[in-house]
Amino acid sequence: MRYRSVAVGLTLAAASGIAAFALTSAAAGNSAAAPASEAKNWTPARTAWGDPDFQGVWRYEAAIALERPSRFAGRELLTDEEVARSEQQEKEQESKRLAGEEGEAVGRRSVAESPIRGNEYNSFWQDHGRPRKVYRQTSLITDPRDGQIPYTPDAQKADARTAARYGVGPYESYLDPDTGERCLTDGVTGMMWQGPNGGHNRIVQSPGYVTILHEEYRDRRIIPVDGRPHNGIRQWFGDAVGRWDGDTLVVDTTNFVDRTNYEWASIWTRPSETLHLVERFRRTDADTLEYTITVEDPQTFVKPWTAVIPISRLPDGTQIFEYACHEGNYAMPNLLSGARAEAGKKAASR
Amino acid sequence: MPTPLRRALIVIAAAVAVGGAVWTQVPSTSRGGDDPYKAPRTADGKPDFSGVWQALNTANYDIQAHAARPALALIPAPPRTGIAGLGRATPIDLPAPAVRPLGAVGAVPAGEGVVEGNEIPYQPWAAAQKKENLEHWLERDPEIKCFMPGVPRATYMPYPFQILQSSDVILMAYEFAGATRTIHMNSVGNSPSQSWMGWSRGHWEGETLVVDVTDFNDSTWFDRAGNFHSDALHIVERYTAVSPYHLMYEVTVEDPKVFTRPWKMQMPLYRRFEKDKRILEYKCVEFVEEALYGHLGVIDPATGRANK
Amino acid sequence: MRTKLTVWLAGLGIVIACVPVWAHHAFAAEFDAKKPIKLRGTIAKMEWINPHTWIHIDVKKPNGKVERWMIEGGPPNALYRRGFTKDSLPLGIEIVVEGFQAKDGSMRGNGRDLTFPDGRKLFLGSSGTGAPLDGREGKER
Repeated sequence: MRYRSVAVGLTLAAASGIAAFALTSAAAGNSAAAPASEAKNWTPARTAWGDPDFQGVWRYEAAIALERPSRFAGRELLTDEEVARSEQQEKEQESKRLAGEEGEAVGRRSVAESPIRGNEYNSFWQDHGRPRKVYRQTSLITDPRDGQIPYTPDAQKADARTAARYGVGPYESYLDPDTGERCLTDGVTGMMWQGPNGGHNRIVQSPGYVTILHEEYRDRRIIPVDGRPHNGIRQWFGDAVGRWDGDTLVVDTTNFVDRTNYEWASIWTRPSETLHLVERFRRTDADTLEYTITVEDPQTFVKPWTAVIPISRLPDGTQIFEYACHEGNYAMPNLLSGARAEAGKKAASR
Repeated sequence: MPTPLRRALIVIAAAVAVGGAVWTQVPSTSRGGDDPYKAPRTADGKPDFSGVWQALNTANYDIQAHAARPALALIPAPPRTGIAGLGRATPIDLPAPAVRPLGAVGAVPAGEGVVEGNEIPYQPWAAAQKKENLEHWLERDPEIKCFMPGVPRATYMPYPFQILQSSDVILMAYEFAGATRTIHMNSVGNSPSQSWMGWSRGHWEGETLVVDVTDFNDSTWFDRAGNFHSDALHIVERYTAVSPYHLMYEVTVEDPKVFTRPWKMQMPLYRRFEKDKRILEYKCVEFVEEALYGHLGVIDPATGRANK
Repeated sequence: MRTKLTVWLAGLGIVIACVPVWAHHAFAAEFDAKKPIKLRGTIAKMEWINPHTWIHIDVKKPNGKVERWMIEGGPPNALYRRGFTKDSLPLGIEIVVEGFQAKDGSMRGNGRDLTFPDGRKLFLGSSGTGAPLDGREGKER
């Protein structure tokens, strides 16, 4: 998912009972966020077999960009004023969305200004029925401190290339659209907070396992928490092993396949054989999961980076639904047909 | 006869009786005589079916009893007479050109079938449709395109699947195409739409997990032999542990648009008890793109040359 | 992407929250921004699939001919969670579609703006308060 990082407003959403995410100094690879003094030491309920219970359907409901927008350079947190303003705006935009308004009123550019990017469909397709949440973080990335992805020079070029060719092409074969457009996956790295439908994840626990069902692409991670070792078989989602560290679930994932030569909507999610993820899941209250991910891959990043994402629990009874993307991928043949038509026109006009 | 030996013989006789009864009755908790097997319990007192399981039969080729076949896609055998210069003709249909190089890898092994009574009660139009499906297997079988296999085909595809039991839901995680089913064990609303894997509601009847599946689309097949259904399909599955390593799986199939009456399939499921056994990824979409889209773009990646 | 746009909007004094744009949609590769369409047709078929629904409409041309158009919509799952279902848009209903036509000139387009003939947008509001399938829990088959 490509986030257009325009100005971001964040707030301390104390009213909704969400813990503040203060940023401690982030040593490399360490989880940076610790609860501020306002957040109590909340203990999750237990499953019937005694593991901390994280079950339910979760969604990332804020609008914090992954990388800190230049507008907030040097600032890790927003002021209370900015936060209050953003909260108000989110409420207003939500009620306008429900009333059928489009464009600036609901946080999008106007159709006249941008008929294609950002206005492909009415807002009702993406309205989740409640306003987005506002947090104080100016970026999800907490380490490095500048909030930017520490790309290698080659990966930086790859990122720029991806942005430049998006929607432009060339689209000569099925290899040219990105992995999401091919109905493969968006990768693991952004799975807990991203997705074309808003990033829904259902966590199901059973003795010895934590299973994460991601709605988009029906991505699935069955994570053993019984202390077994990595099994060494390379997969798109790698080989994950988890363990409980008190009330925190720690997951270590290695043994990814190399798919760096595919197009990815976001370079930072692409798996390579040297990708290594360490994730920490901590339920900070009934409605919030604090998700911390440290991403290490010398092929893409000059050093590991860490992001902290506050994820919200949806009401009991919320379902995630089947995602039959490949089964109905009209976009692929349409896209290829469009490219052939264009190529034909160019040839004819010579 | 000494008592321990007598006891041992009774146990052996009972085991033989159970083994012999596999195909003729579903183990039930109310069966008289020998104690039926009772699975260990989960933390909330339900039979525990957690683990990795796999069917071991040829149902995915053909759910009915079948002799071995030369290939999954066939061209009819040439007539015995009428070929100039040929002294005799092959008595069997021949593999279609597209699958011929696969040789024995592409052939169909014999199998006893899993359908009770071996008859699928198609309505007349549907019997003809099945035959046509089989003849056009290569273009029509959704398995070839890495489409989700539906229920119950997902259960008896030749790959392991995992049962993960939580209190509210039971997940069935399949390898093929990464298909997953969420079986709702508490009350749940209706499905908002049709789906490939259906909408599953489960409950316990003693030792048996009963799953009621509805809201299918019409796009899956039951096997590679063209057996199909409509969007009126209604499936009831029954899973019962008959030993620490076996589940007995029984399926009732109902589809008033296609069949004249409900019918059943039955088969054992075997526990994959290797240490730390996991199910693995089978993300086959990537494997079928060349077949589906290679010829549609400006260039074909398989050859690097322009498509005409 | 990160810098230019940010500065411009900051200058406008607008605090616009980061909107996840429709990624995985090489839109410009499929549809042509130079070929706007506005169609009025009745729904013949609706495919509730991800990540794009597809609405097939019958459009009656002035000469009496009926054309079957395929219109690409957004993903259905958020609608499901707000209580809409596959029966929420019955066949035969008339809708107005504004968008762009397919690049290859075929009878396909994106449904950027989907409304009823009176101008109301489809799928407006939630069936309840945003809680999933409001009122539908507990309905056993």
